[in-house]
This record gives sequence, C-alpha cells and structure tokens, in this order.
Amino acid sequence: MNDLRVPIGSFFALVGAILCATGLAANYQAPLELENVNLYCGVSMLIFGAVMLWLARRKSRS
Amino acid sequence: MRLAPVDYLILSLYFVFVLSIGWIVKRKVATSADFLTSGRSVPVWITSLAFIAANLGAQEVIGMCASGAKYGIMTAHFYWIGAVPAMLFVGVFMMPFYYGSRARSVPEYLKLRFDEKTRALNALTFAVMTVFSSGISMYALGLLFELVLHWSFTSSVLLSAAIVLVYTFLGGLTSAIYNEVLQFFLIVLGFAPLAIFVVMKTGGWNGMAARLPEVMTHTWRYAGSASENPMGVEVFGLVAGLGFVLSFGYWCTDFLVVQRAMAAESMSAARRTPLIAAFPKMVMPFIVIVPGIAALALSHMALGYSIPLKASGGPDYDQTLTTLMAQFYPSGMLGLGLTALMASFMSGMAGNVTAFNTVWTYDLYQGHIRKHAPDSHYLFVGRVTTVVGVALSIGTAYLASHFNNIMDFLQLVFGFVNAPLFATFLLGMFWKRATGHGAFAGLLAGTGAAAVTHGLTLAEGKGGWLGAVLHTFPSTMAQNFWIAIFAWSTCLVVTLLVSLMSAPKVESELHNLVYGLTAIPHEDVPWYKRPAPLALIVIAALVLLNVWFW
Repeated sequence: MNDLRVPIGSFFALVGAILCATGLAANYQAPLELENVNLYCGVSMLIFGAVMLWLARRKSRS
Repeated sequence: MRLAPVDYLILSLYFVFVLSIGWIVKRKVATSADFLTSGRSVPVWITSLAFIAANLGAQEVIGMCASGAKYGIMTAHFYWIGAVPAMLFVGVFMMPFYYGSRARSVPEYLKLRFDEKTRALNALTFAVMTVFSSGISMYALGLLFELVLHWSFTSSVLLSAAIVLVYTFLGGLTSAIYNEVLQFFLIVLGFAPLAIFVVMKTGGWNGMAARLPEVMTHTWRYAGSASENPMGVEVFGLVAGLGFVLSFGYWCTDFLVVQRAMAAESMSAARRTPLIAAFPKMVMPFIVIVPGIAALALSHMALGYSIPLKASGGPDYDQTLTTLMAQFYPSGMLGLGLTALMASFMSGMAGNVTAFNTVWTYDLYQGHIRKHAPDSHYLFVGRVTTVVGVALSIGTAYLASHFNNIMDFLQLVFGFVNAPLFATFLLGMFWKRATGHGAFAGLLAGTGAAAVTHGLTLAEGKGGWLGAVLHTFPSTMAQNFWIAIFAWSTCLVVTLLVSLMSAPKVESELHNLVYGLTAIPHEDVPWYKRPAPLALIVIAALVLLNVWFW
C-alpha cells in the first residue's frame, strides 16, 4: 500500500455518508439527546475522510 | 442496548477494511524483518499515532472514563504526568541507543548491552506478560459485549480473535501498526462527540464544574495530602511513583510501545515518534476522561441518568462509558461507538501478539533454540507464532473467565517485575561501567523489593501477607506508587554495587549502546523536525494545561 490515508479516508467518507443518510432519513433520537447526532457526526466524518483522501491525492501527484 | 441494521453495517464495514489492510500489506512481506519489525520503513506520522494507539486499548478507554467519574480530572495525571515526560525522555535521550544499536527488540538491546541472561529474563517475562494482557483484553471484550449487547462470550471472543489472527498473520507488524492508526481515528471521532454532547448537556465546562465538588475539576489543588483527594495519593507518591518510576518504566522500556518507534524509517523519525505522539496524548483526557466527569454531574441533574450500580450495591464505574453511549447516541453513531470499542480491543490484542511474535522469534527461538537458520525459517516461525500467540490468548481469556483471582494475582506479579526495569535501562544507557551481572542482580532484587513492600504494607485490605504490617496506605493506588519507588531504588543500588564488584565490558563492545560511546548523528533537518525544539514545545503545552486545570 502506498498511502495509509487512502483506506482511512475511504472508511470515514463511507461511514460519514451512511450516518448522513441515516440522519436525513430517520432522525433517530437518543434518550437524552434531541439533536440529530447522526447528521452532525456524519458531516464531520465526511469532511475528515475527504481531507484525508485529498491529502493522499495531492501527494501522489507531486 | 439494541442495535439497528445500520449499526451492524458500520461494524461490518470496519471488519472489511481491517482485513483488506492486512491483505494489501501482505505483498510487502518478504523477509522476517518485514514481518516482525516492518523493515524499518514506516512514515513518522503513522508510527507516532500507533505509538499511543498501541496503549489506548478499550480497557484504557473504559477505565479512564470510569476513573473520570470516580476521581475527576486528577485522572489526567495518568496522561500529563504519567506519560508525556517519559515519552519526551525516550525520544530525546533513549532512542539513539535503541535505534542506533540496530537491535530488533528491547530484550535484544539488553543482550547487546549486558549479556544473555539479562535478555533471557526480560524476554521471558515480557512474552508471558503480553500473552496474558492479550487474553485479559479479550476476556474484557467478551464480558462487555455479553453485558451490553447480549452476544455470547464465546462468539465475540472467537470473532475478534479470528480477525486479529487474519490481519496479523498476513501483514505482521506493519498490518498491526496500520490498523492501530485506523483505530486511533475511530476512538477520537467516535468518542469526542460523546464528550461534547455530555458536557453541553450539563451546561458546558462551568455548568459541569458547578454541579460537582471542587476536587473533581482540579488536578493539583487537592494533591497536597492524601486525605483531601479521592485518589488517596499525596504529591510525592504521585510525582515519583507515577510520574517517574511507573511511567518511565512503561513508556521507555516496554517493547510493545518502543517497537512502534523502532519501526520508523530513520533515526530522526524514530526519535520524533514519541515526541509527536505526545501532542495527541496530551489532549486524550478531554476525550476519554471528561465524559466520566460529566456523567457524575449528569447524575445530579434529575434527568433520569445515574451512574450504574453493581449487583452488590456500589457504583459500577466501568459501565459509565457504555451507559452514556446508550443515552446520547442514536442508532448509527451507536454503531460507530461500539465499532471504536471493538477496534480498540482488537488492536490492543494485535499489539500484544506482534510484540510477542518478535520477542519469541528473535530473542527466545533464534537466541536459544535455533541460532543459524536461513531467514525464511524465521519468517515461517514468526507466522506460526502469530497463530500460537492468538491461541494462547484465547486460552487465557477462558482462564480469566473461570479463575478471576489468578488474573489479579498475575497482574500483581507483573507489576513487581516491571517496576525496577527503568533503573536497569537508565544505568545501561548512561553509565558504561554497568555490567550484565549488575543488571541481572538488580532486576531480581528490585522485583523482590516490590514483593516485600507489598507484603509488609496494607491498603484497602490488600497486601500484608508477610505477617507484619509496617505501614497502611490510604489507597491501593498510593501503595502501587510506593511499591514502584522501592523497587526502582533497590534495583538502582544493587545494579550499582554489583557492577562495581564485577568485571566491566570492554569499551569496543559498547559502541552505539552507551552514552559517551555513541555518536549521535547530526541531523540535517529543519528545526521543527529536531527532537529538542519539539520537546520544548511539548513541555510548554504541558505546563499550560497543568496551570489551566490546576
């Protein structure tokens, strides 16, 4: 494997997408938390995953 | 706790990624060095994160959250005083000898520096300890998932063991290290939101602090005397016992963590590994300890949340983390949180298995059983050892589930064995007159001193088995700190005396092993990549944190 950022980025991008989709479709709520936890965390993970993938891509080009 | 399909989806996605990483790394494994030491080729950001992740098992995460609820922010001493200074020391002062000696393991360094018997003693005790830690971690996983999700003990133990076996068997140390990095991000991204949500619920940091006794949100203010803080420790025991002996003994000599730095691609990268790792290590308390503190505040809020109770009636702090997850995470994030827990159990196990592998193959098998075989033979032995290591861990997990007392006893004995270690390394690396006989005698005497201290003192009903009780400690934690202090001092004195009475090693054999006979390579790198400036930045940040949460 050339760059560990690729699998890590892909993993979190995928999980982020799954969480966003869950948050938008179902809005599950936890007993003590009324916010849409899945959506917030999903968006953060999607961003994290995308940054990792972008960093890996930038390196492989240079 | 009930899981929805989306939770299982996330968990299985993680398994797929872990196994694929093992599969992809496999292509790079051609020699025993690739398998057991990563061929010294891993980039520094990866070794740094693996350096702390190898220690950040699930028991650690669950235990730190529990201690947060029990002792408050004082628990952060285990990170700020009990880890960071030692990490700086190993990076700045010790890594030139570990990495420069070309030793493949910590016991092998002892063989080069001292002699065969010192290595054999260290390798043997280390091998036994790693197998047991790995088994205990597996046992904890089985127990937790049985309790929280009603999965059967056997199926969670076997499932996690099988996955660990497959990816370590395929890719060896590199595979374990890569997965530790994935696990590190999982823990951070899986538990940081929990810390944020729970603290916000209690009204932010100030709201939380207002609902708790003062001592829960201060690290030093109540550390002056043991009766003022819930840990029951006083400042000397804390700083000398935890901050010096125990923490330096672990972070500077335990092969499990040192192995990560030794896998780095260059001397400069090896030295930077623990220094860079110190930055995330410093902020970990906010992710793993703060939820526990907030849980206690939450239980005073009449929201229906309370710290779970044991069957016997007392608070069961170990369940704090999982009950918080159940209260604050809906299906989806709940799956990710559980995946993070599962991941940290598995990488704790994999860390132990890979360290066991290297020590068994190089230090015990190659050192004592078959000395001059072709490399392919040792690669084969390494692979077989992976299978044996996992099998032994499973055996230990079952042993632990049937004989809890044996495990407590073994952990006590391991503590006695580990306590004096740092004195041996300190003298070995910085005093060229220290000899093999001295080191060996010092280690045995230190372990003996630890046992005697435990036998002559009492804390919470523990110890005192030698008949006479000379001192009673306010807590077992204080007792542990003082056992370590006595063990370390005894080892230091005995090693000094015996060394002076025995013949020194000739200086030509000590190059690259001892301070004064080792050329520290001048590194042509920008200042922010040099160990000393990095260490100073870490120290400044550490002081700031301690003052802030004084």
